[in-house]
Amino acid sequence: MRLSPSFYKYYKERGIMHGRKRAITNALEFSLFGLPSFLIWFSVVIIPFIYGFWITFTDWNGLALHINFIGLENYRHILTDSAFLGAFVKTVIYALFTVILSNLVGFILALVVTSGIKGQNLFRTGFFTPNIIGGIILGYIWNFIFSFGLTKFGEFTGISWMQTSWLTNPTRALMALIIVSAWQMSGYLMVIYIAGLTAVPSDLLEAARVDGATTWQTVTKIKIPMIRGTIAICVFLSISRCFMSFDTNLSLTAGGPYKSTELIAYKIYQTAFTSMNFGEGQAQAIVLFVIVAIISLLQVYFTRKGRVDA
Amino acid sequence: MKKRVISLIMTGVMGATLLTGCGNASTSAPAATTDENAPAATQEAPAATEEAPAAEAAATEVNISFYTTETGKDDMYQDLISDFESKNPGITVEYIAAGDDQLQQWMALYASNEGPTVSLMDPINIWENQERMRPLSGEAMLDNITESSLSTMTFNGTVYAVPMSAAGIGILYNKAVCDAAVGGDFDPSSIKTRSDLKDLFDKIEATGVAATCITGVNWSLGAHYLCQSYGEAIGDTKARVDYVNSIISGETKEIDNDVFNGFMDTLDMMAQYNYNKNDPLVGDVNLDAMALAEGKCGTWFMGDWAWTYMAELVEPGAEFGLMPVPHSDDANDVTNQYLPTSFAKGYCIDASQNTEEQQLAGLKFIEYISSDSYSQEVQAKRLGQALPFKNCTATIESPLGNSTAGYIADGRTVDFYGTPSLCPSDIWYECGAYMCEYLTGACDRKTLADKIDAYWANQEKREY
Repeated sequence: MRLSPSFYKYYKERGIMHGRKRAITNALEFSLFGLPSFLIWFSVVIIPFIYGFWITFTDWNGLALHINFIGLENYRHILTDSAFLGAFVKTVIYALFTVILSNLVGFILALVVTSGIKGQNLFRTGFFTPNIIGGIILGYIWNFIFSFGLTKFGEFTGISWMQTSWLTNPTRALMALIIVSAWQMSGYLMVIYIAGLTAVPSDLLEAARVDGATTWQTVTKIKIPMIRGTIAICVFLSISRCFMSFDTNLSLTAGGPYKSTELIAYKIYQTAFTSMNFGEGQAQAIVLFVIVAIISLLQVYFTRKGRVDA
Repeated sequence: MKKRVISLIMTGVMGATLLTGCGNASTSAPAATTDENAPAATQEAPAATEEAPAAEAAATEVNISFYTTETGKDDMYQDLISDFESKNPGITVEYIAAGDDQLQQWMALYASNEGPTVSLMDPINIWENQERMRPLSGEAMLDNITESSLSTMTFNGTVYAVPMSAAGIGILYNKAVCDAAVGGDFDPSSIKTRSDLKDLFDKIEATGVAATCITGVNWSLGAHYLCQSYGEAIGDTKARVDYVNSIISGETKEIDNDVFNGFMDTLDMMAQYNYNKNDPLVGDVNLDAMALAEGKCGTWFMGDWAWTYMAELVEPGAEFGLMPVPHSDDANDVTNQYLPTSFAKGYCIDASQNTEEQQLAGLKFIEYISSDSYSQEVQAKRLGQALPFKNCTATIESPLGNSTAGYIADGRTVDFYGTPSLCPSDIWYECGAYMCEYLTGACDRKTLADKIDAYWANQEKREY
């Protein structure tokens, strides 16, 4: 059936177009806005991912012209490799303390800079600055502080445990890594917490104040429950960042002393590029990918749950 | 309609831009990406030139790349490249310096189909990737290379690289400190045993100066100190390879080996006199170089390359030298008195991603590096190490390099590895960590030996 001109005009004016024309328009719009991004994403994410996944089934060293297919041997090896499992355990310990510390500091800083104190914008900038400095540079700066700055302070004050470098003792080196990572990440988390805290209705806070709530009660009974979604985002964001932590690990401790601070991402790097076991390194990276993917999915789940509950 | 046309045009432009990046890289020479002004004709390797002699290769414009893992020598190589380009019109060399991880960048270059024409790499890396390399056997320039230096670059009878320099590894000494300790002119050849070394250390400490210094870093302890125990003291190259293969197969344990235990006994002894004793792993090569240069310690386990760190710090006229690490108390054991020298890096040519024309230009570049008098002068001055080139008359300014050259001239050197494939490329990292742990006292000798055995057990059998 052919539509009359007036009927066609009616639908055109209301944005309801003919099915075929609509499809063409959609395709053109996708080509203009979606296709370039899709092609870039497909080229730099999907193709390398598929290629990398395929490499996990080979013994490729990263340079060899001939690649041998070895099936699941790389996966079998990493799941029985004490060094890889050790790196995983260390990463879990590192992530646990870093997540708690960075979120705690980030939240407290957010409370402080949203409390209306003088120069709060300056403080916000200052606290966020460590996140702008690259992890490599940050690691070298703190390496100097832990190895030479604090040791000089220890010599000056006579405090014996501060007279040796933090980075030459396995426990203290891991602590140093946690401190630096938390210091770097807390400013970033602070910004997210600020966004959450400023969204808490002011009339609610006003009502609490009128009812005689203390600052502690306001924080624990109103602010924290109201930003559960934000907390979920921050916690899972920091967990995934901890599992992928590499640059600070490289420049601050380089896995030392004697590989005691070798986190999972650094271990992958060493396997692939120092030991030239590219296939095994890729298999380790796939394991890390699965871990981070699970964390991200949990984040999505809890964020949605938080929103619904709130 | 107008919007639709604009959107179509924009889509086309974006698509074309994206697809440009997906072009076939093999149509352009690897180095061509750095020189956009180079004539297009030079970017493709005409098959007809494949049999052209080296002399004719430079008649046309050709771009090559040079990747170096010798860190801290950028000025030197850029100077040499400028000189080479002026003497070889038509050849342009792109300089690529490695960062902290030499293998990562090398792999990245190959992955992007931009494998360097000439690479300065460790022999083990060249050996592992020999299928990519151009065999150099039969090239005239090899006539100018000392025969003894080529063994580390030779795999199955074929030469794959030209050695850079001879690096002496051992105990550096500050002669003024040692003279004061012995009360006269210190003679390093008087140190024939571990006990002799201990006596020297006692005398140095009696003067109020730390006797020695160990830099507690994985590459020094893993690649240099530990690997001495797989060296000449084990035997000839075949004996060394047989030994590590016996550890790989589990027939032999490190803890049962006298050479390993001998070197560890010496390390234990040195650790007692260590300048960094209070915090053994805090060592930093720059700070430790400063300590030796300023006479805060009398000796330092390192190598003659340390002059790079010391040259700016030493007083004019100050004397420094090098002596081997004694691994036993047998004064008749020559391996206690022979200096291990390593041809730790070699120039190789890629044949997998470079055209024949580029490979020939690469040969000219290596020939220039190894035989040109200006090149040798610059290298002798900046590297401060003995050069394994027969026509070399350049004077080495480094007293440490001169010390190594003295051992070479006296015939009192032993080849550190003997064969490029003896020690795996990651031994410095893996076993270096175990050595660091041992140095701090966090593990005992048996634990160290067991960990090293476990490391070797995961390696493939070595070849010679």
